[in-house]
Amino acid sequence: MSKSDSKRQAILENAYRLFRAQGFDGTSMADITSQVGGSKATLYSHFPSKEELFVECMMAALENYMSDTLKHLDASRSDPQAALRNFGTSVLNFICSPEQVEVRRLMIAEAARSGTGKLFFDKITALRSHVSSFLAECMASGMLRRDDPDLAADHLGALLEAEILEPLLLHVREAAPDEQETALAARRAVAAFLRAYAPAVPPIKAPTGADAHVRRAHPNER
Amino acid sequence: MKTKTESKRQAIIQAAAEVFREVGFERASMSDIRERIGGSKATLYNYFPSKEKLFFEVMHQAKELELEAITGELDADADDLKRKLVHFGQKFMTALYSPDAIAVRRLAIAESRHSDIGRLSFEQATVPIEKRVAEFLRETMKRGALRTADPKMAAIHLLSLLESELLNRVLLGVIDAVKPESLSGAVRRAVDVFLYGYERR
Repeated sequence: MSKSDSKRQAILENAYRLFRAQGFDGTSMADITSQVGGSKATLYSHFPSKEELFVECMMAALENYMSDTLKHLDASRSDPQAALRNFGTSVLNFICSPEQVEVRRLMIAEAARSGTGKLFFDKITALRSHVSSFLAECMASGMLRRDDPDLAADHLGALLEAEILEPLLLHVREAAPDEQETALAARRAVAAFLRAYAPAVPPIKAPTGADAHVRRAHPNER
Repeated sequence: MKTKTESKRQAIIQAAAEVFREVGFERASMSDIRERIGGSKATLYNYFPSKEKLFFEVMHQAKELELEAITGELDADADDLKRKLVHFGQKFMTALYSPDAIAVRRLAIAESRHSDIGRLSFEQATVPIEKRVAEFLRETMKRGALRTADPKMAAIHLLSLLESELLNRVLLGVIDAVKPESLSGAVRRAVDVFLYGYERR
């Protein structure tokens, strides 16, 4: 790592810590300089504005988060429902955290002017492609009906965000949801998703007479 | 300070709507608006403390008319449910993804911590539509055309499925304008998946 790279890394780490502790508005470039040392000019030579520094910090956070969250999908191929729920909870915990709500606000606010919205969207797309391949496997194994896995991933994402994200973005609610709330929201979203993508099954004949007891449980009842 | 009158208020909103349409929100200034109606800047600010508030008011008046237009046909008679939902979805998305509506939504999110635009937009746009759709779904469930579920949750699911393909792309500025065919495709796919999940099987 060159001297300049390590300086950049130090700036990012300190800035991230400050942004998390004090929020975007509560953190000034001067605060960051005083933590990292060196001059304000050096800071500005790496990051021309507080907005850009913030976006960089949050992109780095997003990278770390993605590798953690995607583990949920890799870990439990044996139980896709649990995998989706754990994944969904982890997604919600991340995107509903105060700094991620703030970064999304900033991206949306700046979307018309800068290219950062596109950068952020590329990250979302990368995450989605992992989800799509997981869903494609579920479709191949017959656990989900066959459809476009990218579309299914968009639908899953939208259902996950449906209850909580908009009130947070619009500041109708301030407090981030706790783990219990995100787990419940993820559970409802995943249940709705699994119903909407359940494999088509032939209608079950109504059990009659003597062989009623041998009726096999519908897969979804187990 | 002179008392505010409704007719003056409406005149300002009218003038602002014209200015916003002509030059867009970013480039419009309070001075442009004042020039069009005459009077002092103080008077204008007395009615509307900021350009954001004024913009929201302009959009809100357009929206009130729209709400009825968007949800008007959602009555739970026995007509083809899918056709009705597609029709509703189409109107909902067309209204929500017009360049003006996107601008107002971005603004509401961007300004939400510094003004009450975010809250206003949630209470006056999001919630009424959600409620109206939930009522419709409740009636439809009663009629037996959908399985019994929490109608509010079902409404939230329907609305977010409708937006699922376009929301991030548009808000993050990846695409500028939504083509009518991608909009109607997204609506059709969302309604299909919603019905698959909520119809009785």
